Amino acid sequence: MNEANPFGGGVGTSIARPDIREKLTGRARYIADLSRPDMLHAAIVQSPVAHARIKGYETTAARAVPGVAAVLTGEDFPDGRMGAFIKDEHAIAKGKVRYLGEPVAVVAAESEAIARHAARLIEVDLEELPPVLTPEEALKEDSPAIHEGLEDYIKVFPAICNGNVASETEIGEGDVEAAWAGCDVVVEDEYETAPQAHLSIEPCGALAEIDEAGRVTLWSANQSVFRVQANVCESLKLPMSKLRCLTPKIGAGFGNKMEPHVQPLVVQLAIATGRPVKLILNRVEDFETVRHRHPFKIRCKTGATKDGTLVAREVEVLLDGGAYGDDSPGVLGYSLLMARGPYRIPNARCHGRLVYTNKMRFGAFRGFGNPQVAFAGETQIDEIAEKLGMDPLELRLKNMLRPGDRWFGGGEVASNGLAECAAQARRAARWGEAATDRSPGTVRRGRGIAFAAHISGLLGTGAIVRLLEDGSVVLNTGAVDIGQGSDTVLTQICASALKVPVEQVALASPDTDGSPYNWGTTASRVTYTTGRSVVAAAKKVEDAIKSHAGEILECAPHDLELRDGGKVGVKGVPDKEVSFIDVSLRAHWAAGGPIVANDSWVFNQPSVDPKRAVARGLPFPQIGVYSFGCVIADVAVDTVTGKAEVTEAWSAMDVGRAINPASVEGQIEGGFVQGMGFALMEELVWDGPRLVNPSMMDYKAPTFRDTPYALHSIIVEEPEPDGPFGAKGVGEIGLVPVPAAIANAIRNAVGIRPRKLPMTPERNLRSMLEADDAA
Amino acid sequence: MSGLSVAMTVNGQDRSLDVPVTQTLLETLRDQLALTGAKRGCNQGVCGACTVMVDGKPVRGCLSLTVNCDGAEVTTVEGLADGGALSGIQQAMADTNAVQCGFCTPGMLVSAFAFLREAKTPSVEEIQYALSGNLCRCSGYRKIIDAVQLAADRSAEVSS
Amino acid sequence: MTEPGIDVAFHRPRTVEEAVALLRGDDGAMCLAGGATLVAMMNAALVEPSGLVSLSGVDALRNAERLQDGSARIGAMRKHCETAEETVLENGQCVLREAARQIANMPVRNMGTIGGSIAFFDPAADYPPALVAADAVVEISGPDGERTVPAAEFFVGWYETALGPGDIVTAVRLPAAPKGSIGLFHKLARVSGDFATASIALILAMSGETVTHLAIAVGACGPTPVRLPDIEAELTGKVLDGAGIDRLAMTLADKLDPIDDVRASAEYRRLVAPRMVKRAIAEAAATLRGVA
Repeated sequence: MNEANPFGGGVGTSIARPDIREKLTGRARYIADLSRPDMLHAAIVQSPVAHARIKGYETTAARAVPGVAAVLTGEDFPDGRMGAFIKDEHAIAKGKVRYLGEPVAVVAAESEAIARHAARLIEVDLEELPPVLTPEEALKEDSPAIHEGLEDYIKVFPAICNGNVASETEIGEGDVEAAWAGCDVVVEDEYETAPQAHLSIEPCGALAEIDEAGRVTLWSANQSVFRVQANVCESLKLPMSKLRCLTPKIGAGFGNKMEPHVQPLVVQLAIATGRPVKLILNRVEDFETVRHRHPFKIRCKTGATKDGTLVAREVEVLLDGGAYGDDSPGVLGYSLLMARGPYRIPNARCHGRLVYTNKMRFGAFRGFGNPQVAFAGETQIDEIAEKLGMDPLELRLKNMLRPGDRWFGGGEVASNGLAECAAQARRAARWGEAATDRSPGTVRRGRGIAFAAHISGLLGTGAIVRLLEDGSVVLNTGAVDIGQGSDTVLTQICASALKVPVEQVALASPDTDGSPYNWGTTASRVTYTTGRSVVAAAKKVEDAIKSHAGEILECAPHDLELRDGGKVGVKGVPDKEVSFIDVSLRAHWAAGGPIVANDSWVFNQPSVDPKRAVARGLPFPQIGVYSFGCVIADVAVDTVTGKAEVTEAWSAMDVGRAINPASVEGQIEGGFVQGMGFALMEELVWDGPRLVNPSMMDYKAPTFRDTPYALHSIIVEEPEPDGPFGAKGVGEIGLVPVPAAIANAIRNAVGIRPRKLPMTPERNLRSMLEADDAA
Repeated sequence: MSGLSVAMTVNGQDRSLDVPVTQTLLETLRDQLALTGAKRGCNQGVCGACTVMVDGKPVRGCLSLTVNCDGAEVTTVEGLADGGALSGIQQAMADTNAVQCGFCTPGMLVSAFAFLREAKTPSVEEIQYALSGNLCRCSGYRKIIDAVQLAADRSAEVSS
Repeated sequence: MTEPGIDVAFHRPRTVEEAVALLRGDDGAMCLAGGATLVAMMNAALVEPSGLVSLSGVDALRNAERLQDGSARIGAMRKHCETAEETVLENGQCVLREAARQIANMPVRNMGTIGGSIAFFDPAADYPPALVAADAVVEISGPDGERTVPAAEFFVGWYETALGPGDIVTAVRLPAAPKGSIGLFHKLARVSGDFATASIALILAMSGETVTHLAIAVGACGPTPVRLPDIEAELTGKVLDGAGIDRLAMTLADKLDPIDDVRASAEYRRLVAPRMVKRAIAEAAATLRGVA
């Protein structure tokens, strides 16, 4: 519930979002709700095969349809290449098709119906090539090359690549090989996780409009106006000054809107036709052409001594990246960085490869590889505990990373609330008290636990804070609020920093023309990185205010303090003060100039310390600050069908400082349920080259009735020294430990050890019956 | 394009429209009446983002043909507030912080609004049953349930 | 979505006879009941009818009534939300009510109709096994007049029913179920509201420990609901015992002809269906004992 606050809604209060009324009254405008005068509608044409050379196109019939304004094929697009890590992707398939469903042509027409009708009339002449459908096939010596030009592509990091291997990464500390000999118990197993769809309720779309000077304005469903700008300009070989990217309201992303979808297509159509062009993907197209979570194959090995000290861990991962690199090298690298888990394991080697296949690309999705490796790692911790006869929570507490310890690879961990997370979760759940229900009946109950860590990262960000003439404040950060609540949080940070009520702070909408660079809303980074910038810029504004006030009040700036409600006065002298209005008017009209301050920075803590660890092919030399968490989940397993359900859960997350506690809870709860879906039911299925379930009828995520109401979010605040008011991120960590906690609970309930996600009724029942047979 | 004449009341206003036979109510509301609150999330009736009320019952806008709604009373999210005053459920969703990206919100509000007209002291299970046709990918559902109960509680206070 | 340049005819007859005549006049025309299936298919461009015959104005199809002999007739245009609360269903007939309650979700139940649902016949839908277990008959009106078809013969194969061109389902009729009998519908699905992975529709009546009526059909495990009236008859009049139930469950499992699909594999369906059968019978029996 909202609380009254003396600072008027600042840091620590669960104030409502500034756009709440808009969303509640149906007036919020998402990309599909926008329109421009004289606008055309576009539709894509998709490839019917997975791997082929494009020999030609038959577009005559389509062009002849009344109302069609333009038909563009790969031949009509510039040959620029984009890609977050490896620049391997054109705006549309050019010369070659690499996955079934890949866009090969686009049509713009007077209505969506006409565009789709015309699109169905377009034929593509394809010379089929043998498709490479699994990572194992892709690794074979004689497998066809999906990207013949891989060696020549520009890469933004020292990628180790060859053939269909897009990237190979390794991080190691200590001496894993020697360490096994010293272990009393070693567990080694293989795990597999399925591809998961983001399933944002809003599908992807974009709208581009060109002006008389040839400059394009582009709105799109996105998580970063700057990534949109870069991707479109790289692929269409446009100077960035020619493209202005704006953002409508966003209907969630979870990662699928961080990199491009149809933006380059609408821009090229706008250029070709001279008219605004809008393209909204339908749900099937969104499933088939955007991106999904990587399926992982994991081999994990953990060793401990009999007193429960973890000694060694080895992880090997194989990622199916699909047809284009996208964020995949990052996901590979990040998963390896996280694979040792939040523990003091002195010997660890984590190695993996990312391969291309002729399936649609896999990319960023909340957790970014961590949920997959956490599933393997955290269930293995439980296995070790079982073999040693130790409580799985006690084993974790014994080995967990303590304040002052460094992360795998040597990165500094400046704040570590893991112990507190565990303590609070344990207390709230009454860990140890709830005995597993072994009463007869067809339902068995069990409880499981998992720890997690995640980063708040990385790359560049900024903030501009400006004082208007009347003393109100305008904040401009370029950070896109995708629904997680960053607009609110950044406003609260600014308001608290300047001690003004939130109503006095206006937030500018992200605009590549006017906003400072912001890499994007991803990597749980906005509160931490952008918030830090906001605090820094606000501090500069405070200094300027004090400088002016010092002149007005005839004292030194360091004798001044900000006071609630937009005032500044002499410390210890309550009636010697002036308002921000006085200061701002002076600045505007008399001296100094209007008060505006800017902060800009790039995260610069190295991820790996070369004196401690070896790293090869690392995609990000600087990553982020660390958050921690603990999830305890109770499940009920129906022994007749094998179906498992979560009945209650506790999720304690160390967020440094909860700027907006209700929004933090919202992220923890939402992350839990998305992780639960990943754990129990969500699975994209391919039949050869074809995605079998590209619809919401066939791909299922949890509804109200599949989700426990008893989801308890516990906020732990272990201040991050550099964070804005101590805050760090929470966007992803709520999901990370969930599949492992549920798997451990299922083990506790029915004695099976799931090694594959999702843990469907079928998989569970089979395992249960095999275990019965073996017994 | 030739179409049929359809007369409907939409959010209390009488409307006379010319619609193609295969146009869905969702398309008519969004494209002809500029009521863009209801959303196209899947066009298959699964996600619930298109939920609107027809003759007092929540239905799927994407699965309703406008020509089959002649004479119907349609209420969309835009019709829930009374002038400037938010309805109880709208205010409650603000107060429990149940709205994140907001894309599911219009459909969710319509379903909840209709439910609350019948259910005065709903249990968690009853709320889950009533709203299971509205998917939310952001919230984890808990705060939405809190909002429905809060709205019901406040409504009970007012009438008692 | 509207196909440009194509005019689709739209009719809203007031009687069944008119509807049948309209269908006869245009073989590309289709019946529009609730729209839950048809409009979804039109949106996905899976069907392109030349005309639509809306049945929403045919009042004769909207009623539910209990007949003199205790049978319940449910009009084809009754919505799932109505069938889910249907008071004309009594005793074991309530299996149909239980099935209706688990269809999809509230807004879809406010639109979809029993006639539309069974006419389309998705084998994973919820009514078919319930109607088969209830020994229901389907009333049909068509170019050749009126006829009734027992549910077990109505559901012919994958998305195939006994309806001929121009036929309309007008009602389903469930015979009276024995007094004191219970109707149960167990549905295994990936999530709430999904089509069934496997479903069990059961009507059970007992006198003490003796079975006086047993009807059980398995849904979503093949092209049609599966039922074994012969084995049911063998078990009727006898004390309910584990061996008999096992035999029923395993023989049902043998008769299943499931496929692999995104919801589950055929193998799993063959594995889980008999387990669900046993549980359904045990639960129904326990409930009856509790009441008695």
